[in-house]
Amino acid sequence: MRHGALMILSRGRLAAFAALPLLIACLAAALAQSLPALTGRVVDNAGIIDASTESDLTARLAAFEDKSSDQIVVATIQSLDGEAIEPYANRLFRTWGLGQAGEDNGILLLVAVDDRRMRIEVGYGLEGTLTDLHSRLIIENTMVPAFRAGNFAGGISQAVEDIILVLEGNAAELEARAERNEDDGSWWPPLPVIFFLTLWIGLFGGSLLFAILAPIFGRKLGPGRYRWLGIDVGYGGSGSSSSGSGRSSGSSGSSWSSGSSGGFSGGGGSSGGGGSSGSW
Amino acid sequence: MIARGIAAGSASSLFKAFVFLALTAPLLAGCGYNTIPTNEERAKAAWSEVLNQYQRRADLIPNLVETVKAFAAQEREVLTAVVEARAAATSIQVSPEMLDNPEALRAFQEGQANLTGALSRLLAVVEAYPELKSSQNFLALQAQLEGTENRIAVARRDYIEAVRVYNTSLRTFPSVIWASLWFTDNEPFATFTIDEDKMEVPEVDFDQND
Repeated sequence: MRHGALMILSRGRLAAFAALPLLIACLAAALAQSLPALTGRVVDNAGIIDASTESDLTARLAAFEDKSSDQIVVATIQSLDGEAIEPYANRLFRTWGLGQAGEDNGILLLVAVDDRRMRIEVGYGLEGTLTDLHSRLIIENTMVPAFRAGNFAGGISQAVEDIILVLEGNAAELEARAERNEDDGSWWPPLPVIFFLTLWIGLFGGSLLFAILAPIFGRKLGPGRYRWLGIDVGYGGSGSSSSGSGRSSGSSGSSWSSGSSGGFSGGGGSSGGGGSSGSW
Repeated sequence: MIARGIAAGSASSLFKAFVFLALTAPLLAGCGYNTIPTNEERAKAAWSEVLNQYQRRADLIPNLVETVKAFAAQEREVLTAVVEARAAATSIQVSPEMLDNPEALRAFQEGQANLTGALSRLLAVVEAYPELKSSQNFLALQAQLEGTENRIAVARRDYIEAVRVYNTSLRTFPSVIWASLWFTDNEPFATFTIDEDKMEVPEVDFDQND
């Protein structure tokens, strides 16, 4: 009895301990200025992009990702709340995980309206293609004039066009990148899965086949007992159970396919602060 | 016969010991034996990235100095200051093995801080030369320099975070047992002080110089 009470107590405490880091994480996130959610390829929290441009951009960016696996995301916010745009953009980039994991081929185009600042943050993997100078030229020559004229949607749209132009300019590298990250379409399971399935089908199917073929080709020893290829096979009565092998069949496959049905999410890429910022 | 029996016996006990080890080794990992080395390697990798980015900045400087010289040779004093600060900063090397030595890290920081100061003076002087400011070469260098400063800031933040995790694992509960039993010569790593954070990115004030 006392032991049981102790168990309950310790379990309650355990739950409290488990909840504590969660609580702290939530608190820390709330303190460090909440970041916008990644709702799509265009996250227009400042409301400066009109609906038709937004759907245009989304379609263009989705098509470009299909082609190259590069993830470009446009984000606008009202205010940075006193933070510099560089650390904010880096934090946002890493939280969203833009670009494919391991390839880090993401680009974030961030505009902070009240601060009159913009930044193109480039993932590790694209730093060599879209250099700091490229980003700066796109900001200075494309975005700043349009923004000064109050044409936010046009400036952003043209800047995205320029970014894609630069990335496409390095065609060989783009193709190689797309090939490395080509995982949908012709999907093929990894080698261990193939090996496992072959082994499993061989063992299970083999014994099943043996059980079916033994009465046909084997020599009859008695009622329900046959001998084939030197092995005695008995039917009925004490059926040996083959438990345990059934559960593993379902686990392969399903977890490998990336759920790319409609929603958009970052591929797990990271950035080391490449790119350039500007103001208008 | 007897000898063979003994040999077989020791072989089987060896086998048992091997099986025992094979079974317990994963448990060891589960007990957090790996935590400290993992965090240590992570911190060292983060430091390598810091060095990498500072090196990148140092590599940009000769080119920058040459470009400025072409337009503003009379600013000899500022240019020499940059070259000297660069030489001083690059002469201090802190390898990952020296990270538990706060003195070495402080010297490194000071060298780099001096270079940052000299660079920001150079960039301020440049404001007086419109044709230099608008030259393509200078624009490219400036963009690269800014990008590098930002990468340095990111790398430093990552290093500070990695060191925080590593130092915490040396002093907090499950892993502190391993620290006292096995990793006895693992020292906490030194990290950047707040002082140096203040000096940071070269700021160019357009209003004062125009």
